[in-house]
Amino acid sequence: MQKDKFYKTIANKKHPNEEIIPTHCSYCGMQCGMNLRVNKSTNTIIGVEPRYDWPVTLGKMCPKGVTAYQQTNHDDRLLKPLIRDDASLKGTKEGFREASWDEAYTLIVQRFQELQSLYGNDSLSVFSGVSMTNEKCYLTGKFARVALQTRYIDYNGRFCMSSAAAGFLRSFGVDRGSTLPWTDLHETDCLFIAGSNTAECHPTSMFRIWEVQNRGGYLIVADPRETPIARRADVHLDLKPGTDLALANCMVNLLIQNGYTDAEFIADHTNGLEEMKEIVKEFTVEYTSEITGVAPEKLIRAAEIYGRAPNAIVMFARGIEQQHKGADNVSAYTNMCLVSGKIGRPKSGVATFTGQGNGQGGREHGQKSDLLPGYRKLTNPKHVEEVCQVWGIHPDEMPQPGVSAYEMFELMDQKTIRGLYLLCSNPAVSAPNLNFVRAALKNLDFMVCADIYLSESAEFADVVLPSVTWAEDEGTVTNLEGRIIKINKAQEPVGESKPDWMIELELAERLGRGQYFRHLKSARDISDEFRLASKGGYADYYGATWEKIEKQNGVFWPCRDEQDPGTPHMFLDHKFYHPDGKAKLCALPYRPPAEEPCEQYPLRLTTGRVVYHYLSGNQTRRIPFLKDMCPEPYVEVHPETAAEYNIQHDEVVRLYTRRGEAFYKVKIIEAIRRDTLFVPYHFGHKESINLLTIPALDPISRMPEFKVCAAQIEKQPGRGNIQ
Amino acid sequence: MKQHLYIEMDNCIGCRSCLAACTQCGGHDNRNRNYVYEVNPLVTRQTIPLMCLHCVNPACARSCPAQAIQITDGGAVLSALVEKCIGCQNCTIACPYGIPKFDEEQNLMYKCDLCYDRTKEGIPPMCASVCPTNTLQWLDEEEVAAKNARHQLGKWTASHQPFEPLEGETNVKINLPGILQGIQKLF
Repeated sequence: MQKDKFYKTIANKKHPNEEIIPTHCSYCGMQCGMNLRVNKSTNTIIGVEPRYDWPVTLGKMCPKGVTAYQQTNHDDRLLKPLIRDDASLKGTKEGFREASWDEAYTLIVQRFQELQSLYGNDSLSVFSGVSMTNEKCYLTGKFARVALQTRYIDYNGRFCMSSAAAGFLRSFGVDRGSTLPWTDLHETDCLFIAGSNTAECHPTSMFRIWEVQNRGGYLIVADPRETPIARRADVHLDLKPGTDLALANCMVNLLIQNGYTDAEFIADHTNGLEEMKEIVKEFTVEYTSEITGVAPEKLIRAAEIYGRAPNAIVMFARGIEQQHKGADNVSAYTNMCLVSGKIGRPKSGVATFTGQGNGQGGREHGQKSDLLPGYRKLTNPKHVEEVCQVWGIHPDEMPQPGVSAYEMFELMDQKTIRGLYLLCSNPAVSAPNLNFVRAALKNLDFMVCADIYLSESAEFADVVLPSVTWAEDEGTVTNLEGRIIKINKAQEPVGESKPDWMIELELAERLGRGQYFRHLKSARDISDEFRLASKGGYADYYGATWEKIEKQNGVFWPCRDEQDPGTPHMFLDHKFYHPDGKAKLCALPYRPPAEEPCEQYPLRLTTGRVVYHYLSGNQTRRIPFLKDMCPEPYVEVHPETAAEYNIQHDEVVRLYTRRGEAFYKVKIIEAIRRDTLFVPYHFGHKESINLLTIPALDPISRMPEFKVCAAQIEKQPGRGNIQ
Repeated sequence: MKQHLYIEMDNCIGCRSCLAACTQCGGHDNRNRNYVYEVNPLVTRQTIPLMCLHCVNPACARSCPAQAIQITDGGAVLSALVEKCIGCQNCTIACPYGIPKFDEEQNLMYKCDLCYDRTKEGIPPMCASVCPTNTLQWLDEEEVAAKNARHQLGKWTASHQPFEPLEGETNVKINLPGILQGIQKLF
């Protein structure tokens, strides 16, 4: 199935005394297929072999994917639990001693119970991540609410996908990151891509994207930088960071003005046209050009191309989502599809590039402060009851909704939250306003961190638990298409490391809550319970058994029962998930970024990824090839801006905002706006650009505005060109 | 059917996956043998790969006084044979593209062998297998002919036709920037 024009039948290289385990990459939402090479004598992973028959990526991998296997048997792996007795050393690597699991568990349970008896159940918190399987994500939600009985659980998706989720929920009543499979991309006639550095962040999409142009189709890219994908775009909308809402409203306005709308589709399948028209009509080409800094003729051309395209796909990523109006941006760009009727059929639709491996599945099954499995809501008594039946608890025992990721740090600062169980995330690098966040972590009475390496966040912990890499466990992940796929185990865990699900089950037992967890003995058991818990929710995984996933090369949710093959294309029947079956055209007034440039801070700072690193860099900075390719952060500056500040290429400058400062080497490049600076965010300690970013939260998605704040550069006389 | 490494420069995004993957080929001792260059780094993000072109009459082999550089039936120009290489580095000077690398410790030249370990079994080389952008492709002669027919851009179309911008005829076919020129837009 799904053999497209790129598919070739290719045998894999067979090396003597090796077997290959088909699985997927540990990193981004592309979840590229890969085969891990395992030495049969030592039972260890020793390399990678392309997985030519994976229909989405056909063996292709970015440099992170090629070297991902090096994580598992890495010298930096944590092999035993670590305990630090001297709390004054928090925030450093110092003072840890190796301990047995028994001692670590005993200490955790004692301290957690102490805090809860003194300050209540909600004095504990769980901060998790979505670079882990659905099974772990599901169990972590249950662990927080049933074993720890706290309301405070949230996850790093708040720094990643929450705006996309909130925007899609509002527009469609459902949040599946892509309305179509990736194998449609190269067959469309126009790609409109906003705020996605696709070539660096989702490189294995690129062969499909270039193919659109090879066929004579169009590529439109909105980005403040001329990224590798923008370089080849037919139209590059080089907007000021944080002005997407104006741009999107203008596109919709132009589509309406020029008659590129589908009146029948709008009438039959949407609500809110008049109200939206009232808002977007303000966004004339001239007015929008003033706000965004994009030339009027480019705006006109982009809308014309999208409007005329028989089929078109609107795509976006963190560039538009990591703003304090991220959810609005998502709905505004989605309006383009809805007014033109370019959705609900093959080769047309809307998609977000999911950042983390399981950014999709991980947000659907109860790690979010207000959600339960199957995308059920904690505020809906019926939903609570349905999940309570699976979990075997009384609805009265279900904790209330908590707060979002960044707000948890505020509660740590205020001592409302006193204990933290952190897993699969590194907020000491990835959260905004890090001076505050790191102080909040230090302010905790007791912190546990489960990770595969001693991350920057683990440096704040009292107990560090060694977890396993993705290749030492099995389970399912939902990729950026909404396709549920299977991760397979390639070797036994190194040292005494354990999968997060096992740690949570063992802790639940010791916390006296074993009765709710004892029946779960394997990832498969958890998978079966979690499918049941999602049943009837709109992110329904019930029919997505491991056997079906294997047989079909993945299963797209919703998949409601054993017979249901899943749903590769959403909305083919033009039925949306709001109660009346219609999609919502959202009327979205423009708001500028939370912090606009001023005399003191005249530049716009934006942040993002480089192709060699993933998220906080806790994994990729340890891989020799990736570290060699990009060993340190830098600040990208336009040559004219550099001349204004009298700074040279490779010179070290002080970069600062109202929240913090850092020192970076200057990289001069014309492929960025004159008023904009860019720094990659993958680096720790003093190199973290998040020391400078602003914690202005989106009112709906609670996403911080990583993508724009006001900044200033200061030349460092005498510091010059240091290595 | 004979297959060729085919390079479409325009597609390159500079991810250097080809470098990372090169180390994964069985005969490569975890060392990569190819290059990716930034074309004009202070101006644009354009990058291009530089791979061994596997010349039909390779300067590296011609310059070798010890006949250490062998050419396979498929046209792959191999790394120097350990037992024959005298470490003179003639090849590194002779190659017009600067491809051969030299291991000082082993006193031995090593270079791209077109993943001989794989291609001898009909499996694509690692670089072309992983390339996320199709900058590097592994094509049979029919597919190469189709590419050439599609991209009639004068002397920069591909090596050895109709002019000879490169050292001579090469087994690797390259397509210099310009693949979108002349493409009829759909609308």
